[in-house]
Amino acid sequence: MVALVIALALVFDFTNGFHDTANAMATPIATGALKPKVAVALAAVLNLVGAFLSTEVAKTISGGLIREGEGGIQIGPELVFAGLIGAIVWNLITWLLGLPSSSSHALFGGLIGAAIVGVGFQAIDGGVLLSKIVIPALLAPVLAGFVAFLATKIAYAIVAKRARDGFKRGQIFTAGLVSLAHGTNDAQKTMGVITLALIAAGQQEVGSGPQLWVVVVCALAIALGTYSGGWRIIRTLGKGITEVEPAQGFAAEASTTATILASSHLGFALSTTQVASGGVIGVGIGRKGASVKWGTAGRIALGWLITIPAAGAVGAFMALVEKLGFWGIVADAAFAAAAILAIFIYSRRESVDSKALDTVEPGDIVRPKRKKRKNKDGSGSKA
Amino acid sequence: MIDWAAFFVVAAAALVAACAIVTLFSLALRFGDGATTGSWQRRVSVGLYVLCALVVLFGIYLIIPALHGG
Repeated sequence: MVALVIALALVFDFTNGFHDTANAMATPIATGALKPKVAVALAAVLNLVGAFLSTEVAKTISGGLIREGEGGIQIGPELVFAGLIGAIVWNLITWLLGLPSSSSHALFGGLIGAAIVGVGFQAIDGGVLLSKIVIPALLAPVLAGFVAFLATKIAYAIVAKRARDGFKRGQIFTAGLVSLAHGTNDAQKTMGVITLALIAAGQQEVGSGPQLWVVVVCALAIALGTYSGGWRIIRTLGKGITEVEPAQGFAAEASTTATILASSHLGFALSTTQVASGGVIGVGIGRKGASVKWGTAGRIALGWLITIPAAGAVGAFMALVEKLGFWGIVADAAFAAAAILAIFIYSRRESVDSKALDTVEPGDIVRPKRKKRKNKDGSGSKA
Repeated sequence: MIDWAAFFVVAAAALVAACAIVTLFSLALRFGDGATTGSWQRRVSVGLYVLCALVVLFGIYLIIPALHGG
């Protein structure tokens, strides 16, 4: 059972990685600051490094959302297993639709659904759910959007059109910071889950941190996932919401980085995915002549709203099946494998890979176009 | 329930940090634009890039818990 949970947790880690590549790398790819393959490789390396930097988050993974410990309820490995299936299936569905949704919310949703079936509604702390997840999910994109909007205004006010390609260089660094921050946070969630499972199975002392091998495999899984690149989501975030110019890309990345770092250090947790999406919408509003496709933005928002219930429903169903005993768990595992395979095969029908995004000529990168100097602002072709 | 004070601190910090880095980088680009080697504009531009680098280093410092004690 524990081995199954660990295997599934690593699969989740992998989906987490390729789901969230877009947060950091969608705009540098869209503006041509980095070639797609280079961008995902950079993100993968930084995620790998980030995963080794800290294990603080892993120690607080359960975070009080599910009441446990003394006087609370024991969440056994079986329920974690059911919850993970919910999270993975939902992550894959949103990937198929190209929706940037929060992997942490999928994980929480799956676990919540499983806990409700396994233990009952008293397992969930509604107040914590509202204040830690639902309301931050509304605030994150609004805040990041506003910051990015102002940043875009500043960038366009100061820099003349011909010099704006210089922002591409800056984007590489800001995008790198987002990746690094992502690695220090997201790989931790999986480490936390595996450690939880090991402790629950009595194979590790209560209250101890993740073991070295757990850290290593989690770091590798998220890096591999990141490198494989969630091209569909990168396409949505980089091109689906608004046309991103280098200055906007820089503003969006800077806002995302600033918001994430502020939130993780000043004690108001926000989802990276939601901050990044809000940032892209903000820069879309901030540039004159840019249009935001609100239909796409609405679809993304809808995706956020149903992430927790949807992952929860799958998790709950899995937990229900588990009540059959041994064969229930076998059925769950079979369902998970079948779902992953089915979604993978379905995705092949309309495959989206790095080539779909490789629109900018490599030679164009980081080179201001001097020919346009004589043109009046706005009369030249869009850079 | 919602810690609004914390939220506003986060919002203010994010706003100031993002605007600061964008302003610095933008000014660096503006001064660097078309400036010849050795001119004072070029020196100002390079100085601003260095400031940007410092902000990025501060970001890395914030990301790595080992550097600031958790």
